[in-house]
Amino acid sequence: MSLNKIEAAQGWRVRSTQDLAAGLFMIALAGLALFLSRDLSTGTLRQIGPGMLPKAFAVICAGLGALLAFNSLRYNGEKLSGWSWRGVIFVLGAAVVFGLTIRGFEIGPLKVPQLGMLVSGPLVVIISGLAATDVKIKELLIFAAAMTIGCALLFKYALGLPIPLAPWLLGI
Amino acid sequence: MSEMLAHLSLGFGVALTLKNVALCFVGCLVGTLIGVLPGVGPVATIAMLLPITFGLDPVGALIMLAGIYYGAQYGGSTTAILVNIPGEATAVVTTLDGHQMAKQGRAGVALGTAAIGSFVAGCAATLIIAALGAPLTRLALLFGPAEYFSLMVMGLCFAVVLARGSILKAFCMIMLGLLLSTVGTDLETGQERMTFGFPPLSDGIDFAVLAMGVFGFAEVLRNLENPEARDVVKSKIGRLLPDWNDLKQSAAPCLRGTLIGGTLGILPGNGAVLGPFASYTLEKKIAKDPSRFGKGAIEGVAGPESANNAGAQTAFIPLLTLGIPPNAVMALMVGAMTIHGIIPGPQVMTKNPDLFWGMIASMWIGNLMLLIINLPLVGVWVKLLQVPYRLMFPAILIFCSIGIYSVNNQPVDVAFTALFGLFGYLLIKLGFEPAPMLLGFVLGKLMEEKLRQALIISRGSFMTFIERPISAGLLLVAVAILVIALLPSMSKKRDEVFTE
Repeated sequence: MSLNKIEAAQGWRVRSTQDLAAGLFMIALAGLALFLSRDLSTGTLRQIGPGMLPKAFAVICAGLGALLAFNSLRYNGEKLSGWSWRGVIFVLGAAVVFGLTIRGFEIGPLKVPQLGMLVSGPLVVIISGLAATDVKIKELLIFAAAMTIGCALLFKYALGLPIPLAPWLLGI
Repeated sequence: MSEMLAHLSLGFGVALTLKNVALCFVGCLVGTLIGVLPGVGPVATIAMLLPITFGLDPVGALIMLAGIYYGAQYGGSTTAILVNIPGEATAVVTTLDGHQMAKQGRAGVALGTAAIGSFVAGCAATLIIAALGAPLTRLALLFGPAEYFSLMVMGLCFAVVLARGSILKAFCMIMLGLLLSTVGTDLETGQERMTFGFPPLSDGIDFAVLAMGVFGFAEVLRNLENPEARDVVKSKIGRLLPDWNDLKQSAAPCLRGTLIGGTLGILPGNGAVLGPFASYTLEKKIAKDPSRFGKGAIEGVAGPESANNAGAQTAFIPLLTLGIPPNAVMALMVGAMTIHGIIPGPQVMTKNPDLFWGMIASMWIGNLMLLIINLPLVGVWVKLLQVPYRLMFPAILIFCSIGIYSVNNQPVDVAFTALFGLFGYLLIKLGFEPAPMLLGFVLGKLMEEKLRQALIISRGSFMTFIERPISAGLLLVAVAILVIALLPSMSKKRDEVFTE
């Protein structure tokens, strides 16, 4: 972290891409918040308006972000490392698919009927399972079936939560 | 004293019904079951298991949640000892000597010592909570909005200083959490704030959605990226109960650890995280032969584990008496309590005494259960630790998905959680530690409310925070802790503590 004279003399350059990106990220988020709260009145200290705190927090966030970005030019730190898109796509995609299919949805011309957990459950397990680099399809399929049955018994029957199982097939 | 006994007997009356004991048992069991999984810390465990408490009455739900919490804590220690992967910061120290003991074929003794140490610490901490609960609640009733605001500022300052990694980044996370908490309808004017005009956001960001996205999904993404080298102990577990010699060696460290952990745990702002470190350092300092530490010294397990559990439990004190969660786990407890219609704070004790004391009594019962269920089940946990990650995370995912869906029966919440998962992954990639954000998020709404009230009372003068003595004292502590932490010599020490 600390900087000796020789290092300082080397002048300004990016010493930590991670910190620089983190600083810019904070500034961007703060900018977004300021933009979204532009129409909210700040009010006075005596009667604080709805916009006062969001704007204040956003300004502080931006300030911290600027400091972080500035520090990334002075102190050595971590580099930004690569992204694993495979994980992001499969894992988060699986959750989105679950959300879309459990009760059905309609977006414009796209229509999915209410599939229920007996379909959504295996879908989550299988799609997310594909994110692993050492995936074994057969094992995953069996595991998906077992997990779904286990979850149905646990959540639907043992805990009594109102989750649709398979309305198109079983009517529940 | 007699008041305390009366309260405790009321509590045990509530907690010792067959149903509540069963709930406590199930909570401890599933808490340990999930907590044992490597890479799943207490926060993720509680977030994941939250939905199984939805169908219960508030008392039962909280008793079960407390059970889950202890189970998750203990499960984390089991992983630390057997696999050398700490579930969270407080279990880091346990890996040092615990895993060494396991390698020497004394895994059973290490686990047994951890369980017994935790039990002793739990007993003491239960008494501390019972003794301090009533007086602190009375103190809390003296607090006006200004004091509450200052107290939360102090808590957040502590959280910044005690967070892992860079102080500046922890500060960023707190502020980001506060900023996120302002999303949604403004309580006083009814205006929508930063909702993109999107109806599901008008109630604000759901706590469970944020927590599960950032701690459930993002953790999975982080773990997928770093293929873990799981170092499951191959040698025999050995006998579980420590022999006379072990007990003699670990008794004093255990008591000292309880004292340290219990005291630090009361601090607002995650003081509990310091307990195990402090206890380990102390034991090493006063040991006759410090070189044994790091090579399987039983004191290095007994002390920190006791401190860990005592701190985990006394961390309930700021939550139950003041309504202010000191760390991310307690922030989750606030979320859980709110779902069941209980607003944590001093009024809980007066309005729902059976809930308050029942929960405290169930803490002790929970500790006893941990001792009873874990010693025979160690073999099961070892088996569970051998489940490959490629099957573990799909299971985590289906649990999380069903869980979030069940919070509001809203499918769109699951998609939101995925979005926060991406957000959390981005934060991790940028080197941020997301736990302080959760704390800022939970405290944000309350802080805004108290700030507004305080300024209305003082007619818009900020001086009120300095003129009122308690408030000024709290702010002074906050400034002092920040200054001390930023001193160059201290920040170097801080780095050492967290890298050890």
